Amino acid sequence: MAGGEGPVSGVAESREHLFKVLVIGELGVGKTSIIKRYVHQLFSQHYRATIGVDFALKVINWDSKTLVRLQLWDIAGQERFGNMTRVYYKEAVGAFVVFDVTRGSTFEAVSKWKHDLDSKVLLPNGSPIPAVLLANKCDQKKDGSQNLSQMDQFCREGGFIGWFETSAKDNINIDEAARFLVENILANYKTFPNEENDVGKSKLDLDPLKAESKSQCC
Amino acid sequence: MSCSADAAKEKLLWNVKKEVKQIMEEAVTRKFVHEDSSHIIALCGVVEACLLHMLKRRAAGFLRTDKVAALFTKVGKTKKQPNVQEPLKRQGSATSKTPVLTPQAIKHIWVRTALIEKVLDKIVQYIVDNCSKYYEKEALLADPVCGPILASLLVGPCALEYTKLKTADHYWTDPSADELVQRHRIHGVHGRQDSPSKRPALGIRKRHSSGSTSEDRFAASAREYVESLHQNSRTHLLYGKNNVLVQPKDDLEAIPGYLSLHQSADILTLKWTPNQLMNGTLGDSELEKSVYWDYALIVPLSQIVCIHCHQQRKHKTSPREGKVFPKLRKRNSNKSVDLEETPAEDVSTDYVFRIIYPGHKHDNITINYHHLAASRSASVDDDEEEEDKLHAMLSMICSRNLTAPNRMKDTSEMIEMQGFGANLLSWQLEHCSQGSSCISCSTGSSPYDIPSCCNCIHDRTPLKMLCESMKRQIVSRAFYGWLAYCRHLSTVRTHLSALVNHTIVPPDKPSSAAGGLTKEVWSKYQKDRKNYKELELLRKVYYGGVQHEIRKEVWPFLLGHYKFGMAKKEMDQVDEEIALRYQKVMAEWKACEVIVKQREKESHSATLAKFSSGSSIDSHVQRLIHRDSTISNDVFISVDETDSAERDSKCQDDPSFTVVSADTPAAVAAVEQQSVEFDSPDSGLPSSRNYSVASGILSSIDDGQSVSFEDGAEEETNADMERTDPDTAPVQKAKSVVPQPQDSVSEEQLCPQVDYLMDVASVCAASYTIELLDTVALNLHRIDKDVQRCDRNYWYFTADNLEKLRNVMCSYVWEHLEVGYVQGMCDLLAPLMVILDNDQLAYSCFSHLMKRMSQNFPNGGAMDTHFANMRSLIQILDSELFELMHQNGDYTHFYFCYRWFLLDFKRELLYEDVFTVWEVIWAAKHISSEHFVLFIALALVEVYREIIRDNNMDFTDIIKFFNEMAEHHNAQEILRIARDLVYKVQTLIENK
Repeated sequence: MAGGEGPVSGVAESREHLFKVLVIGELGVGKTSIIKRYVHQLFSQHYRATIGVDFALKVINWDSKTLVRLQLWDIAGQERFGNMTRVYYKEAVGAFVVFDVTRGSTFEAVSKWKHDLDSKVLLPNGSPIPAVLLANKCDQKKDGSQNLSQMDQFCREGGFIGWFETSAKDNINIDEAARFLVENILANYKTFPNEENDVGKSKLDLDPLKAESKSQCC
Repeated sequence: MSCSADAAKEKLLWNVKKEVKQIMEEAVTRKFVHEDSSHIIALCGVVEACLLHMLKRRAAGFLRTDKVAALFTKVGKTKKQPNVQEPLKRQGSATSKTPVLTPQAIKHIWVRTALIEKVLDKIVQYIVDNCSKYYEKEALLADPVCGPILASLLVGPCALEYTKLKTADHYWTDPSADELVQRHRIHGVHGRQDSPSKRPALGIRKRHSSGSTSEDRFAASAREYVESLHQNSRTHLLYGKNNVLVQPKDDLEAIPGYLSLHQSADILTLKWTPNQLMNGTLGDSELEKSVYWDYALIVPLSQIVCIHCHQQRKHKTSPREGKVFPKLRKRNSNKSVDLEETPAEDVSTDYVFRIIYPGHKHDNITINYHHLAASRSASVDDDEEEEDKLHAMLSMICSRNLTAPNRMKDTSEMIEMQGFGANLLSWQLEHCSQGSSCISCSTGSSPYDIPSCCNCIHDRTPLKMLCESMKRQIVSRAFYGWLAYCRHLSTVRTHLSALVNHTIVPPDKPSSAAGGLTKEVWSKYQKDRKNYKELELLRKVYYGGVQHEIRKEVWPFLLGHYKFGMAKKEMDQVDEEIALRYQKVMAEWKACEVIVKQREKESHSATLAKFSSGSSIDSHVQRLIHRDSTISNDVFISVDETDSAERDSKCQDDPSFTVVSADTPAAVAAVEQQSVEFDSPDSGLPSSRNYSVASGILSSIDDGQSVSFEDGAEEETNADMERTDPDTAPVQKAKSVVPQPQDSVSEEQLCPQVDYLMDVASVCAASYTIELLDTVALNLHRIDKDVQRCDRNYWYFTADNLEKLRNVMCSYVWEHLEVGYVQGMCDLLAPLMVILDNDQLAYSCFSHLMKRMSQNFPNGGAMDTHFANMRSLIQILDSELFELMHQNGDYTHFYFCYRWFLLDFKRELLYEDVFTVWEVIWAAKHISSEHFVLFIALALVEVYREIIRDNNMDFTDIIKFFNEMAEHHNAQEILRIARDLVYKVQTLIENK
């Protein structure tokens, strides 16, 4: 079999990345809907409450040389079981924290989720993983536009790299938010060439191996 | 020709077969094969190996490094067919161009190009047809059988379309769970292949170890043994040959028998069975008694130390001459025998397999295998001297020491070493000989038969002494091993015995329970309630489930709403009590809900009024920006807590303490402000507040705005607040009046509500603290969220029935506010609603069900116990898988089972199967195990263990796999396996 070479073959310097990205936030804010919209381009009324964790994979042809696979971890909004979220968060390199603009309490919880996230997972260089705040269900917003500068300030102080008003139903801003996060993740690889890139590489080198062995041996 | 050459060819061919199979599977499951597929590279590799096998040097060219290139170029030149020539020519140029390929792919560029151009089969066929030109006589391609087989094997892959297209779903996408299962089905015709590291589970050793001891052989049915010689699911028959002559004893004629080579996982076993046992003329009893059993040979190849190869000397062969070959080597990767390559000059020799293994009455056996074209005969001579036997043992141990160091993990496995007499399974053998140093190397050994791995000079003299010391060592080791094993077993028993009931309730006594609890049985029970045995009914449920039509009647019994044997009157009484309780609870929470709703509505209006220019979120942003949201304000929190404590005590002290009018808004605001501003989101579920309410009130007070409905809001909220306000309460307690409406709008809004509120308040004589209202609001919201999306695709859940579901859920949560609603509870209630279709009954049954299930929810702690138990069970029953889980990032925390346990597998199965599985779980408590869910979980893991193992799954893989497999399981099979597993553990404990 192809061994460690993986499908990265061919075009010199072409790179493939597998990024584990968490999607967290209070229950019913639309995490699953956002993922379904992003990955399957559809909005369904018929999903169920997530128990534990669900997965989705999004493949992005980032540019001619880079292929990004986002492994989205859709974590249940009411997941409180002890150490389990720690295991879920392990090795994540980015996160979306989602709240529901129609429900203030879900926004309150944003800080709690962010805090939880930062306490349980860090980048290899010790900094918090990049997190994007998503103000979901903006199609249902009853009143005028958000106070942008205030949200910006909140993000700065809360340690978010940015925020987006999204709507899974009307497909607003979801691709943009994902692109923004991926840019940031990729930038992280370049900023810390010595530590992080190596870790990233070794992880990436392992992954194709695994994928290969998988398709090969069953 | 020699047998090792044959075997080498076989092996080459087998590799090709394997790869062809892989590639065809990929083609079937994926609909196409990508050019970068690792299978292509693998296939090219094995084909190339075949092509290079005994290729004439001349043909390849002395100096050409790429022999295949040379060969193909020649073929291209000589072959006339243009359709073959063309690609080959192109190929020549292609190598220089070097397209985008991995080094591995480039390595086999010629074969690869031919394959992708779909001419490889033709080229190989051509080479086979003209083999004399290119190959030695013994070459695979020159073989009259193997050559054409190779060519025809390649026809399939050459018919496939290979694509360069990189589709999103192909690229790097892991195969889906369905695909994995599908591949496993195609691939898994050999059935369960246990790898050697898998120790037989403690409980099943008896059944599976019928390998090589005579006792076991008799214990197991002889018939079964004979059947085991054929191709079957457990072992793979690699080779079989009829009428191989073996001389079992000196004084006996050589007798014909069936020689077969079997493969089970990595263990290869050579068997020879006298024809008398094979041809089925003997009856079962005769078969068992037959003397021929003594002659049958079962030789695990891993125990062969060396092969003694003799020069031909007409008839009598002496074991002291000739060549000694080292032991057979096994190649783990593809599980085939790799016989030592025989040098060319040995072509005409006979072979004597010197097979040494314990457990037979001869400690060593030399099988002379006269490899003559016309007549083949074999004889076993046991005329070796005593010393030879000892030597054999030593050399065996010696070679093991050298080949597998440090594998002694568990001394407990040494138990059967004593006296060398018992059957040693390969895994036991491997372990038992560890630790003792290579004594025979440093001391004595016979002059011939030197283990190849041992280079020391051997000397015979201290052999006896050595044997003595070895004997001592072995015995002491065996003893300690046995001791450790016993201790281990006793730990296991203590641990496991709590998991299962100790009395085994059989499926077939007094009558078969496989039919389950049918309508007939149930009506019989109903006619004769007193005399019908509860256990008997449960046994039927456990082994066969409940007929769907009577589930509605039976489930309340299974869940404990009714007791078996209750008379109709008693049942009615139970129903009545439940109805009363349910109504009371409903009234309670509905009253509270009214207030909560009112509060929410008004706070929203107030917020709107205040922040008419911005969204509600902005208000939160404003407040949150200026404080460190992640650090709790300890001071204020503690104030808040004392407040609430005081409030609570006040409320308890004064039962009449209900509604108080509001005329000190400032004080209210102060109190409220505290709770709003300094409540940390971290403080958890019960104390989290409704910020919207608070900010609304604050704003109204601050701004002094007077919007018509806002006053109402203030009024109402204040009323709520002040009931609990320690400062204002004493003053205002006396003035307990209905708030005065300040204008007509609010009057309209408020009056009916307040009346109702007063009404309820007098009924239940309870008051609502802010905490309570917040908690209820939060829980109601969560319930609503989940009820709305509960199994929307299932026919039962119409709007009406969802409302019923909500009512039952709210009632339950109202009674258990300390835990509150946790996601998943709806999933547990839903199947009950579907079957019972009655609020009250569902409420009662759900309450019973939750007695067990609530323990799994975060506050319970049962989840950790489940995980710990899973750990022990897998460790004991499937140590191989446990090891794998441990190695691949260690997911022996078993978090991937979380959803299973939380919901009793409700999300893993289709609705119809959920019913069946749940009944069995409920009945199992009385029949086999209170923890039956563990065994279902175990069954789920076991069903897919090969897939988990072969794909080397890590935590992400396995959790993803089971997520994808949800609702695709075969519930009946899983239940059967689960019941078997319980039985296995029960017997394990029983056999003390």
